[in-house]
Amino acid sequence: MKRLAQVSVLMCALVLLMGADNATDRYNAIGGKIMCSCGCSEMLLKCNHVGCPNSSQMLQDLKVNLQRSSNDDDVLKFFRDNWGVTSVVEPASHGFELLAWIMPPAALALGLGLVLMIVRTWRLRPAHAVAEGPALDPKLEAFRARARKETEI
Amino acid sequence: MPLFGNFCLIFALALAAYSFVVGAIASRRRDAAGARLNETARRAGMATFFAVTGAAVALIWASVTNDFSVAYIYGHSNRALPVAYKVAALWSGQEGSLLFWSWLLSGYGFVLRLRHKVDQRLVAVASVILAGIQIFFLLLVNYAANPFGLMDRVMADGKGLNILLQYAEMVIHPPMLYLGYVGFSVPFAFALAALIMKYPGEKWIHITRRWTIVTWLFLSVGITLGAHWAYAVLGWGGYWGWDPVENASLFPWLTGTAFLHSVMMQEKRGMMKVWNVWLIFITFMLTILGTLMTRSGIISSVHAFAESPIGTWFYIFLAIVIVVCVVAYALNRKHLKSENALESLVSRESSFMFNNLLLVGACFTVLCGTFFPILSEWVRDRKMTVGAPFFNKVFIPVGLLLLLLTAMGPLLAWRNTSFGSIKRNFAIPFGLSLITAIALVVIGVRPLHDLAQFFAWIGLSLAVMMVVTVASEFLRGGRVLQGKTGGWLLGGIYHLGRRNTRRYGGYVAHVGVALFVVGLCGLAFTRDQEQEMALHDKLQVGNYTLINQAYTQDEDDRYRSDTALLDVYQGDKYLGQLNPEIRYYKPDGQPDHIVANRSTLREDLYVVYEGNNPDNGRPIIKAFINPLVNWVWIGVMVMILGTSFALVPNAAPITSPVTAPAAVPAKQMQPVGAAK
Repeated sequence: MKRLAQVSVLMCALVLLMGADNATDRYNAIGGKIMCSCGCSEMLLKCNHVGCPNSSQMLQDLKVNLQRSSNDDDVLKFFRDNWGVTSVVEPASHGFELLAWIMPPAALALGLGLVLMIVRTWRLRPAHAVAEGPALDPKLEAFRARARKETEI
Repeated sequence: MPLFGNFCLIFALALAAYSFVVGAIASRRRDAAGARLNETARRAGMATFFAVTGAAVALIWASVTNDFSVAYIYGHSNRALPVAYKVAALWSGQEGSLLFWSWLLSGYGFVLRLRHKVDQRLVAVASVILAGIQIFFLLLVNYAANPFGLMDRVMADGKGLNILLQYAEMVIHPPMLYLGYVGFSVPFAFALAALIMKYPGEKWIHITRRWTIVTWLFLSVGITLGAHWAYAVLGWGGYWGWDPVENASLFPWLTGTAFLHSVMMQEKRGMMKVWNVWLIFITFMLTILGTLMTRSGIISSVHAFAESPIGTWFYIFLAIVIVVCVVAYALNRKHLKSENALESLVSRESSFMFNNLLLVGACFTVLCGTFFPILSEWVRDRKMTVGAPFFNKVFIPVGLLLLLLTAMGPLLAWRNTSFGSIKRNFAIPFGLSLITAIALVVIGVRPLHDLAQFFAWIGLSLAVMMVVTVASEFLRGGRVLQGKTGGWLLGGIYHLGRRNTRRYGGYVAHVGVALFVVGLCGLAFTRDQEQEMALHDKLQVGNYTLINQAYTQDEDDRYRSDTALLDVYQGDKYLGQLNPEIRYYKPDGQPDHIVANRSTLREDLYVVYEGNNPDNGRPIIKAFINPLVNWVWIGVMVMILGTSFALVPNAAPITSPVTAPAAVPAKQMQPVGAAK
């Protein structure tokens, strides 16, 4: 019981540590989806090159829009409208662009479904095959299993 | 030379066409005349290699001897270029690289036909398929992208090779990548041939096993060299930017990796035959798609050549390949029935199935992101960009699941794994992984603070699990052999590896993957700082302090350069001097960053001379701290080591001393028939 309590305290402490400071999370998260439009191919938050004609204004726009709207999509829409569609390098989470987010997990889910279906078909099949074949000596099978186990190196 | 080169190309096309047509006719006949025809087709196929070699040598010769009457040489070489780069001109441009593709394909075909005795009938049909692919590339270099096109007038000097490509790794990177791309043609040809012939057994897999591993190895090395070149030369502080052309090299690598694992199911248990055939078909198609992406300019990329009409050729070829594969499958699918069934979901077989699902899923994910801008433009007539943030979010979770499976797979037995065995085998790897996760939080990793750190946290914990899993496999097997031979544990592990090089080489490659992942996780903790630095100015990045002691300028007949002399301190400790440089190559002033990198196993201090402030001429310095980068390269080297070990033939099994049954005393023995 004492050990359980110790583990629980440790886990709580870890969760608290994991969280840390998240005051600037939204700024970092949205800034990480926007590319500086000066042609340097840097993400906006990473673009710190001296004399960049756009990044200061774009960062200012980001701060203003984050304060103005609590909806992240609105902020990204502002950048698309004012700094060009290519300034946002992450597809939007609505409309046609939502498709980009849906397709990979949907394909994986479909694949998983297919795999499970194949597995089910396979698991059903040997029952017939074994039924048609000669009865197996359980003693012999035990020896076979042991041999397989011991020789699998 | 251009005339000779053109002649070689036409002659090679004729030989490949002969090999294809006569080989196809001969493979349908079973009489002596058919065998003779087949032999002529084989020899024509081998001769194709010499003809294409002639063309490649002609182009290299033209480059080395500065024959600027050839438009391609004018565009990609000049007199001042060192000889190694003049040779590299062969694959520096579109026409040359297609000739190079063709040359490598004919080389692979030559070796395949030379070793026809492994299975003459199967090799004959595979050789016809290879000849078909060869015809396509020879048609391209003869009619669509001829490297021997002539200039209207001979120029005194050429334009030269792009400065960024004048780097030792760039001489090796494209050939490695191409060897990987082209190499998948061979298992593809064998798989299609075996399907068309309804060939019994898994012989095509046995024949192509080494081809596939070698091809995969070349592709891995090629991709890594490209990444290392980007890191060392481009000066942006990273090595993978999810650029469409980088992604194109990843497609066949992912499906090829899936194929390497799933063929084991077919070899060991006669399962997944349909899947394996389609996996290698798709891998080949993806190599063609990758070449199409690089050559046609359908997707804008820093690597892609300008838009060119050869895209149409590739579309047609890809369509033909798809039709041939679908028809061959539809006609012969009954031949691909599994011989065995899955007995349990908790088994090595199922781990391979899920590993394949994830690898193909990862490939689809990257395909989606890469082609989504095109889809968007078709559907909405609106351009958009899909960049690194998207790929990181959708690819990394799949990659982490894959890591988990890689860590678990070796501990699962074929057919079925009992709960007791799972408990016994997983306790230590899982426990150490958990301890790592806790330790990472304690030392300051904040998984809930941002997504990158969360992924890195999981990735590092799983990497530990992978290494412990493999170590425990080696130890367990090593102890068994130590018991048999009575020697040292290390000796037991050595014999273990030698007895099944493929399996244990694969495990070493898994350790390489784990180390590679450790390197990737470092990306979550990268820091950088850019600053204009006057004399004696300080730049602080992390716990490093850079002080500008001086800056110098230099000029020779090739370039003008600016160099900063920066003293580096970590706290109060002087570490040495770094000299980042920027060169402006003549005549057009193309800039090239010579990165100064202080590299340790813990982190790289990566310093770039970005340029000069136009107002006051002061240097602008950008410094990055890139943690754990070296583990990426070390991981790949371990992967190469493991894969190379997997290619070594197995040693004979150890014969352990057998205890003879106790001798029966003579008087107890009776002669046969003595019993009454």
